[in-house]
Amino acid sequence: MKKDDQSEKTLSRRNFLKTTGGVAATAAAMVGGLNLLPAKAEAAGYALPKKWDDTYDVVVIGSGFAGLAAAIEAKNAGASVLVIDKMVLHGGNSIINGGDFCAPGTKLQQENGVQDSAELMLKDMLRAGAYLNHPDLAKMVAYNAKGALEWTESYIGAKYAKLNFHGGHSVKRAHGTINSSGSELVNKELAKAKEIGVKIQLRTKLVKFLSNKDGRIVGIEVRKDYKFPDDNSGKPAFIKAKKAVVLSSGGFSRDIKLRQIHDPRLTDRFESTNQPGATGEALLAACIAGAMDVQMDWIQLGPWTSPDEKGFGYVPLFCERLVGYGPMINPKTGKRFFKETGNRKERADAIILIGDPVIIMGDSYAVNKQIFPMALQKGVEAGAIKKFDTLEAVAKEYNIPVDVFLKEIERWNSYVEKKKDDDFDCMIFKDAQPTVVGPFYAARLWPKVHHTMGGLNINTDAQVIGFDFKPVKGLYAAGEVTGGVHGAVRLGGVAMADCIVFGRVAGTNAAKEKPWG
Amino acid sequence: MKNKKIKKPLLTVLLAVLLFAVLSGGIYAAPKEKKASVTKAKTVDVKAWDCAGCHKDKKVLPDSHVPIKEMPYEACLVCHIPGEKNAGTLRTKIPGSHLHALKGVKCAQCHGKVKKPAPVEMSKCVACHGETAKLAEKTAKVKPQNPHESPHYGTSADCNLCHHQHAKSENLCAQCHKFDYIVP
Repeated sequence: MKKDDQSEKTLSRRNFLKTTGGVAATAAAMVGGLNLLPAKAEAAGYALPKKWDDTYDVVVIGSGFAGLAAAIEAKNAGASVLVIDKMVLHGGNSIINGGDFCAPGTKLQQENGVQDSAELMLKDMLRAGAYLNHPDLAKMVAYNAKGALEWTESYIGAKYAKLNFHGGHSVKRAHGTINSSGSELVNKELAKAKEIGVKIQLRTKLVKFLSNKDGRIVGIEVRKDYKFPDDNSGKPAFIKAKKAVVLSSGGFSRDIKLRQIHDPRLTDRFESTNQPGATGEALLAACIAGAMDVQMDWIQLGPWTSPDEKGFGYVPLFCERLVGYGPMINPKTGKRFFKETGNRKERADAIILIGDPVIIMGDSYAVNKQIFPMALQKGVEAGAIKKFDTLEAVAKEYNIPVDVFLKEIERWNSYVEKKKDDDFDCMIFKDAQPTVVGPFYAARLWPKVHHTMGGLNINTDAQVIGFDFKPVKGLYAAGEVTGGVHGAVRLGGVAMADCIVFGRVAGTNAAKEKPWG
Repeated sequence: MKNKKIKKPLLTVLLAVLLFAVLSGGIYAAPKEKKASVTKAKTVDVKAWDCAGCHKDKKVLPDSHVPIKEMPYEACLVCHIPGEKNAGTLRTKIPGSHLHALKGVKCAQCHGKVKKPAPVEMSKCVACHGETAKLAEKTAKVKPQNPHESPHYGTSADCNLCHHQHAKSENLCAQCHKFDYIVP
């Protein structure tokens, strides 16, 4: 039972019902305040607090890429805006993200001689997504990514230094931030949001959405001064959203219970790259308020994570820069086993099928050219990336049959020379060179839960769609909490594009809603 | 904002005594999160060496500890020095508020003269301890990573995210990283 610790100012729904009396309230009290099972659903189910603790035009849940983009657009459209986040720090997964923003036909691509188009990006997204993507949503991202990227540069002030490649894309289209972290963008979004007068309130956890009798979302119940992950911490409060609520609370990669419901394989044997707060309760709260969820069982494992470090770590920055320059080897056989530049799902499945960690490796030419020096240094210091003088030493470290291995490297080198991989059709980059120059670097790979493609069903206006196929009034969503954009597989670097494109749409449209009261 | 007021313990004590004299009309403050063994009453008036003044009968020092009645902070440091076979640094052994108290910092210096003390803003920490950017320079060589500067938050992370005063300090980095810092 929840203890009655609310201050004079706040009024929990349970107590409110007690004071109103009546059959419905008694029924509610009987179930212990956990659930409302009113005799007359319409009368009691939509009971609203007598007093709101705070009132804003637009309330945004989550302070990552999408939430802050929504907040900024809503504020600039004239709305008063509050952003809440349950964690002690802003930024969610965005602030630990690798900082790659995919967009087609940009200036940086032109400078690097890369031919690209929105059409090609969409094609890549759909192919990787096994054509399960909701095409209109995927199209929104592909065709608006360039504009979104330019907005983050010209208006937010984020800086991108390098064009990167991610498996599954036809060309290099990932714009890497100057510090190889999403913090470059999300911190600048936060600074901009604060500058224009958006209120940011951390340690405030969404408990439930509040709807009126028409099913319109009118506000939220939260716990203020919440201390993750203690659900009894903090105090209840009610925040009125006069125009709309934007849900941008991220995915549920860290929610072992929820992810196992949708993909029972994903037990606690699988670590996650995500921040600890990447759990699904806000998404579920939206479902309880009438939102429809889609494709929840498409949960992405990152094929580039290391079992030798915690969380995301440094190895992904090493691995993803090396594919197309160096080979992945199965230590058991000493041979390559899969297309290094394949998409995340294909590669993760291939590694899981082997059943034990594999290695990714590169020589000094590839590593010095491709790897962000800090990532290399930190990865080596953490012991997750290892350095070897000879190929024989690599074989020894990972118990690889050395003769087979040396022959396999020769074979790989011959493919690099002719820029064509006869075995797995790996994309080999123009400036790739044979793996011959010591010292060599290698890291072990074992997948971790990385992204949840499924989530709330939205339309191209970022309105959340309900089980009646109509928009849930007053509710918008953007970013990883939504589903459909990526289908079966999200390609690397497309999350940033997704978040900024739909975050902006959600914020703009939320501010346009007619106030309900 | 570069008025680093005080650094040396002795200076701290002197200033605190002075401040205390000025503010002696009434200082209200109490720890936000209380241990069960600590009574609410008047913790503010208890001397820093007087464990039983708050903790009552609960044993908080090891049996082998020397008597600490009337002991000033400087005397603690005679034994509490880092290194093997030493007593180890006091900084991780007791909550930050106790260290502050031992150094003569009174509750009201951080919480203000209020009836209901609220959580302290980071600006209060910085006013005495200096800007975090400077702190980050000092800890630049800490391995495996500078604890006061990260690619995520720069040097802007709130001190209290790790350095709690009325609860056990925590290593926030460790929720995602393998950084085994000892957090004072």
